[in-house]
Amino acid sequence: MDRRGFLKATAAAGALGGLGSGRLASPALAQGAAARTLRFVPQANLANFDPVWGTQYVVRNAGALVWDTLYGVDDKLEPQRQMVEGEEVSQDGLTWTFRLRPGLKFHDGEPVLAKDVVASLNRWSARDSMGQMIRAIQNEVAAVDDRTFVWKLKSPYPKMKFALGKTNSPFGIVMPERIAKTDPFSQITEYVGSGPMRFKRDEWVPGAKAVFEKFAGYVPRDEPGNWLAGGKRMLVDRVEWVIMPDTATASAALQNGEVDWWENPISDIIPTLKRNRNIAVDIADPLGNIGVFRMNHLHPPFNDVRARRAILMATSQEDYMAAIVGDDAALWKPLPSFFTPNTPLYTEAGGEIMKGPRRLDEAKRLLQESGYKGEPIVMLVAQDQPITKAQGDVAADMLKKIGVNVDYVATDWGTVGQRRASKALPSQGGWHIFFTWFGGADCINPAPNNGVRAGGDTAWWGWPNSPECEALRNEWFAAPDLAAEKAVMARYNKALMDFAIYNPTGFFLAYQAWRKNVSGVVKGPLPFFWGVSKS
Amino acid sequence: MFAYILRRLIATIPVMLVVAAVVFMMVYASGNPAALLAGDQATPEDIARIEHALGYDRPKIQQFVEWLWRVMQGDLGTSVFTNLPVTTMIAQRIEPTVSLMLVTLVLSVGVAVPMGVVAAWKAGTWIDRAIMVIAVLGFSVPVFVVGYILAWVFALQLDWFPVQGYTPLSEGFIPFISNLILPAIALGGVYIALIARITRATMLEVLQQDYVRTARAKGVGQREILFVHALKNAAIPIVTVIGIGIALLIGGAVVTESVFAIPGLGRLTVDAILRRDFPVIQGVVLMFSFVYVIINLLIDLSYSLFDPRIRY
Repeated sequence: MDRRGFLKATAAAGALGGLGSGRLASPALAQGAAARTLRFVPQANLANFDPVWGTQYVVRNAGALVWDTLYGVDDKLEPQRQMVEGEEVSQDGLTWTFRLRPGLKFHDGEPVLAKDVVASLNRWSARDSMGQMIRAIQNEVAAVDDRTFVWKLKSPYPKMKFALGKTNSPFGIVMPERIAKTDPFSQITEYVGSGPMRFKRDEWVPGAKAVFEKFAGYVPRDEPGNWLAGGKRMLVDRVEWVIMPDTATASAALQNGEVDWWENPISDIIPTLKRNRNIAVDIADPLGNIGVFRMNHLHPPFNDVRARRAILMATSQEDYMAAIVGDDAALWKPLPSFFTPNTPLYTEAGGEIMKGPRRLDEAKRLLQESGYKGEPIVMLVAQDQPITKAQGDVAADMLKKIGVNVDYVATDWGTVGQRRASKALPSQGGWHIFFTWFGGADCINPAPNNGVRAGGDTAWWGWPNSPECEALRNEWFAAPDLAAEKAVMARYNKALMDFAIYNPTGFFLAYQAWRKNVSGVVKGPLPFFWGVSKS
Repeated sequence: MFAYILRRLIATIPVMLVVAAVVFMMVYASGNPAALLAGDQATPEDIARIEHALGYDRPKIQQFVEWLWRVMQGDLGTSVFTNLPVTTMIAQRIEPTVSLMLVTLVLSVGVAVPMGVVAAWKAGTWIDRAIMVIAVLGFSVPVFVVGYILAWVFALQLDWFPVQGYTPLSEGFIPFISNLILPAIALGGVYIALIARITRATMLEVLQQDYVRTARAKGVGQREILFVHALKNAAIPIVTVIGIGIALLIGGAVVTESVFAIPGLGRLTVDAILRRDFPVIQGVVLMFSFVYVIINLLIDLSYSLFDPRIRY
């Protein structure tokens, strides 16, 4: 029995134990206090707490509790006003004037002023890809009075509200001016928020625990809470993040009532949790995830589009998805696209190469035509991330079938993170292939989708260079309405497929689980704590 | 004695310098964390700016000398991820690890030494064989397997102990020990096996000695022979193994702390390694090395307690 099997067996046994005894949670705190404290197992350790500097999802998720944003997207992916009371756009689209809601306060009791927002936007726009686009076309961003600020542009930017309210990292949080003036490439050292919860720095033990307390001075909007939009009403006084690197331990702790909500139980554990009558299980994020098989466009053979297309032609997404989510067919779907299914701009245009029976012989021939002669292909596979390992194992098998000499580099994610930044020859410390995955929220349109950037040196790892793709991306940014956006998206997806910018290995969903005495848990690209209560 | 202790403490300085140099070289040979810190949206320029901000673009020798100078002043640096001083992070984590190791140590010695003594006394009988089977199991079954089984039986089934976490001693002895008993048993398996086997072997040798036969002839009771006369003379190898075994505990604590979600130094070390958080890796390894050197010194000093012929 391997470790994974052992883990499933012990978890299952734990579930039976829980059923047999019908045991309820055994709270460590007094009952009333326990009901006001939500204990949450996040997807990863909160190793830093600067949502502009640290772009990991876990930092964003914690940041959303502590800092508010000017806008916030709702479950229709529409940006809604959040800290902003209203905005005016000049006729030519070059001047945006924003007015803040009254009564906004930072956690130190100071009012949120326009100058704080301006400093926060300056810091954010230095790190975020959409922010950088705005920065490139801005004349100035400046405070007009305490509640009003203006952003003057050289050319229109129709996606402004989305940029300020999107969910993907780094997102446009508002912090006090003195903190926001910190170099965007250095960490902040004070965590004075503007959101519904206050970060308890004195109780923060990185790798073990992070604690958030309700901020009494926060004034939620009147509308119902909806993802990052609407009234962020906290129904618990305290949220404790308990870091648990071991899934079997997290599973047992949830069953034992030692924690209340687990963000990302792995699929192996799900049947066990579903059998426990005290635990609810549901899809975590309807926007799901997209598996990524990334090729290095700088070096042979993948500097030739024929080699990259050979990979797409040979890819069986079913194999990849089975390796990632197991045999639950409801958890994945084929993805002949680079964008998130079931979202307004989703398109499969140009995706025929990924549909139908796999054409291994044709892929093999195409690869040979690209000039590939059996040189070792350096494939970086992080073994400590189940999703990357699963993809790497399937890819190794597939590549061998089409005649590729695979140099399977089994390593950890830290090493992949370093090595993928190297442009050196694969034989000299560089790479040909690595694997990762994108959150579906990052692929709902071209703006936050780094994997489809094709600006050569300025593109994401692998450095694809396609002026045609970049032109289409810019065309999408300028599209005035949804119909125009959709028209561009069809051409854009086709161009990306023809260029084989990367190999999408499929779309997959993941679960979350919580105890049934917790209510108000919603599906979303991040865990939303407002509206969640515990009895 | 004092001069000996002083000499040994002074001798730790070159040892620690060598450890510091080796750790520095090994850590920095694996690259730097700037690309990880920069995130997925980073451009090469962003990574370069972060490298510069962290000082990783300076010559390695300069980085080493500056780091060493700070270490000599008691400053282990600042974590590149958490922005917290490494000393603060170690201080946050040291209590759970020390508590776990002490409870494991007490439990293991308390169980293993009598086991070894009894096995030697009953050598060749079924009792001896049963004890040695337990010892073999202790060596063979991985810590995480023992941990999961203990959690399943005693936490999920019987609800005697919590599954995970750590409660400081300051919040009461019962919650403190409740959180540590299962991890200590899981971690102590190998340690118990090691000590029990060495105790048995040493006791077997001692029990053949003339003075034991003389004691028996004088009518001294079996318990006194075993635990007063024989065990004291068998103590030096046992104490040595207990000391060496602390290294095992340090290694095992990494797994145990993960399985039982104990916020200790083991998890801190693993997290730091996976993230390439160099200052934390260097700080923790240096601290463990120093602790190990000091434990060896204490063991050497303890020899004189058991054998008056040993003088320093």
